[in-house]
Parts: sequence; structure tokens; C-alpha cells
Amino acid sequence: MTALHSALTGLAERQRVTADNIANVNTPGFLAGRTNFENALKSAVGNGATPAVSGGTVSRSLEPTNTNGNNVNLDSETVIATETGLRYQLALNALDGKYSLLRSALRTS
Amino acid sequence: MALFDAMSIAGSGMMAHRKWLDAVSDNISNINTASRTSDDAFKERMVDVQAVDYGSGDGGVRVAGVQFGSGEGRIVNEPDNPLADADGNVKYPDIDLGDQMAELMMAQRGYQANAAVIDRAKDAYQAALQLGKG
Repeated sequence: MTALHSALTGLAERQRVTADNIANVNTPGFLAGRTNFENALKSAVGNGATPAVSGGTVSRSLEPTNTNGNNVNLDSETVIATETGLRYQLALNALDGKYSLLRSALRTS
Repeated sequence: MALFDAMSIAGSGMMAHRKWLDAVSDNISNINTASRTSDDAFKERMVDVQAVDYGSGDGGVRVAGVQFGSGEGRIVNEPDNPLADADGNVKYPDIDLGDQMAELMMAQRGYQANAAVIDRAKDAYQAALQLGKG
């Protein structure tokens, strides 16, 4: 369950960062933010350790900028926003399944 | 980190783009505003935006201020104009309608993109609020 919680936190962070990128789609000199929580989560799950519940790390995109120093691509941000939203709902469904499992276990006892 | 951050961040983007739309509509509505040659012509409004640092700050964007274009304008000979000087000249603002229309489209699309983000964030938050109900 901690892994799911960690994934949800990371995905929520990515959604915020994407919102920040789209809010700054016309801001001169703005570099798009990129969230990574998957690597830390994967290695924690692989090692059998308890994954840390954090938003992961945010780095600045090094893609080429346009003439005003901005490198936000609205199309790729929209793809990221859609994908993140769907993955967030997937993780929520999985967590919901765990909760209903616990609920039925409590009822049978 | 406040609750429902993604929505307030996209809200700041909507506001910045709306201010930009306001400035562009001000420029276009005054594109034919004549003034005396002794005065400044209507000055183009340009909105200055700045990113609010994500991490140390709340993220999003803010309007840092408004900058004005040149009031030099262009001199047009219109002897019938009540504002004309002794030589029959008046001043018109030197604003390019093509530039303004391009900016209008950029501001409009930016506004729409931020509105779409709010919609998506709302869906995700609503799903999260249903957690553990079923």
C-alpha cells in the first residue's frame, strides 16, 4: 500500500508540475519542469524496502528553447497531463481495491 | 503545498493570459486614436509576466507589471481633424494590427490550455475524493 501511496504522491506532483508548465507556456525564459519518482520507487520495490512517500525530484528540461528562452511544448505537456491523469486514476482504483479487501476481511472476522 | 494546487497553478495561468487579452484588446481598440502632434500618441500596452518558482514558491505565473511602447507614433496629414496642428497634422499610434492579432491568438490559446488543465485536475481530485467509499 505504501508503494501505491508513493505512486499517487509522485503522480500528483507531476500533475502540479505540468500545470506549472502550462501556466508558463508564454513566459519568457521559462524552462519546463520534469518530475521523476519512478526510478526511486522502482529501486525501493526491487530491494524490498519501504518506498519513501515523496513527490520525487523536479528537474528543468534541457530541450532547445524558442526565441524567448521558453521550452514548454504545449502538445507534449497535454500528453503528459492526460497520461498522468489516467495513471492517477489507475493507482486510485488499485488502492480502492486494497481497501475493499481489508473491509471484507474485517467483516468476516 | 496547499490543497488542490494544480488548480490554483492553472488559475494563475488563466489570469496572466486574461490580462494579456485585456492589454491586446486595449491596443486594438485604440489603434485609430488620434492625438495632437504636441502630445504622445497612444502607447501600446505590453504585459510583463514572470514565473513563480515551483518548489520554493507556489508555482504558476504572475503578472509582474505593464510596459508601455513608444508614444512617438506616426504623423498623418488630416487638416479636417479637430486635433490637427497648424500644418494640418495629427499623430496616430504606431501599433501593428498583425502583431496584435497574433498576440490575441497566443493569449487565447494559452487561456484555453490552462482551462483544460483545471478540468483534468478536477477529474483527478474528484476520483481521489471517492477513495474508500465503495
